[in-house]
Amino acid sequence: MIKALAIEFYKTHRRKIFLVVMAMIAAQLMWALWSFSRMDVRDLEQGWISSLFQFTLLNSLMMPVICAVVASRICDVEHKGQTLKLLNTIIPSGHIFDVKFLCGAFYMILAVLFQILTILITGYLKGFNGEAPFELFGYYLLFTTAVNLSVLLLQQVLSLLFTNQMVALTVGLTGSFFGLFSLFFPQSFQKFVIWGYYGVLMFIGMDWDRATRITNYYLTPIDWAGFVMLMVQFLVLYIIGRVIFSHREW
Amino acid sequence: MFIRTIRAERMKLRRSPVWLAFFALPILPAVMGTFNYQMNIEILQDKWYSLWTQHTLFSCYFFIPAVIGVYCSYLWRLEHTHYNWNAAMSAPVRVGYIYLAKLIMVSTMVILTQVWTGFLFILSGKLIGLDNPIPPELFSWLFYGALGGIVISALQLFISLVIRSFAIPVGMALVGGIAGLAALAKGYGIWFPYSLISLGMHGNGPADEMQYSSGQLIISCLLFTGFFILLAIIWLGKRDVKTV
Repeated sequence: MIKALAIEFYKTHRRKIFLVVMAMIAAQLMWALWSFSRMDVRDLEQGWISSLFQFTLLNSLMMPVICAVVASRICDVEHKGQTLKLLNTIIPSGHIFDVKFLCGAFYMILAVLFQILTILITGYLKGFNGEAPFELFGYYLLFTTAVNLSVLLLQQVLSLLFTNQMVALTVGLTGSFFGLFSLFFPQSFQKFVIWGYYGVLMFIGMDWDRATRITNYYLTPIDWAGFVMLMVQFLVLYIIGRVIFSHREW
Repeated sequence: MFIRTIRAERMKLRRSPVWLAFFALPILPAVMGTFNYQMNIEILQDKWYSLWTQHTLFSCYFFIPAVIGVYCSYLWRLEHTHYNWNAAMSAPVRVGYIYLAKLIMVSTMVILTQVWTGFLFILSGKLIGLDNPIPPELFSWLFYGALGGIVISALQLFISLVIRSFAIPVGMALVGGIAGLAALAKGYGIWFPYSLISLGMHGNGPADEMQYSSGQLIISCLLFTGFFILLAIIWLGKRDVKTV
């Protein structure tokens, strides 16, 4: 298993997956920096939580596509080289499924860590009020990673099962759309689709007063039930995906 | 010969489900945009015009570029896989024709998507009972939107030609769309290929005066498209193909 994982990283070595993830994160950063650059005193006061809010919004828009790209990059090599038949003779197909997922998960976790690092750096440079709320960052890391990995898993299943990568990428795009739009919809709707969980697990609310044009951010209670539901979906997806992949003739 | 190249492209796509994406994806913004419009009806008071912003706001920036990206990636993937480049390059066809035939296929799809978007817009407006007349500008929004879409198609076809991966060009299209939003906000929309579609479709507010004249927009679209076609033809002519 460890060896299989090492091989997986070896395969992605020159495929510059990390560069892809970084490029997408860089686009997010530009956006964030642009919005940070227009902060007034009031915004600086709530800088930490407003930036967590902003990044969650950006994540629900971009992460589904990033997951789709990463999963497709990792899985498409096997289709292009028609190597799955060969691989199956030396590694159990369940293991191939697992190591591919772990490999993708590594990049996705790195991406979130990198986001947090950026918030920290810009926060201290811009002088956000108060100490950095590390507890909130912990929750952000946990929830964003949980949703990212669930979406990544879905994408991996699609990218492996359909040789035509168009299917996976189209689903990824649709997911972005759902993720973004579900933020405008009630929670009950968000829970229907896996991409809506960026919104479900968001623990910061925003009030925008139309008359005064003042934005207020506040903490909302964490939806642990939603988190459990996400985990259940993850498990179901994992089991179904792995079984179908293992029983497939390549 | 060119006609036959186009016909070959059509044959390659005949049984593929690509049209499904173009058919399904505009439905999402239409349904969700209409829903959002209904929820915020007290703020959005310009009826058809408000509905249009809700329909196009996100799709212009993020989704149309990426969907075009998916389509272009798919078209080149047919050549990038299975040693097909060898066959494509040894056929007695100018290399430019291969690119142009693909561009025509994508452009047709973009135009059909615009027609479909327009139809969905009218349909959802009627369904929620907007009683004033349909804005006469609708046709021009769709027309300029199609032009902007063709620019993105030319660019994405070039990117997918150079980068042999399926997914990366799609990611670039998404980032391009977001950068397009920034370029538009800064007022450089006309200089940036990914912004032209939202400029053309008046995504951020159809009632606003156009930032640029339609002549400027058309010239920009033509120049960009021509430039990317040229780049692609030079690339195809100079670079040796890699198979597998």
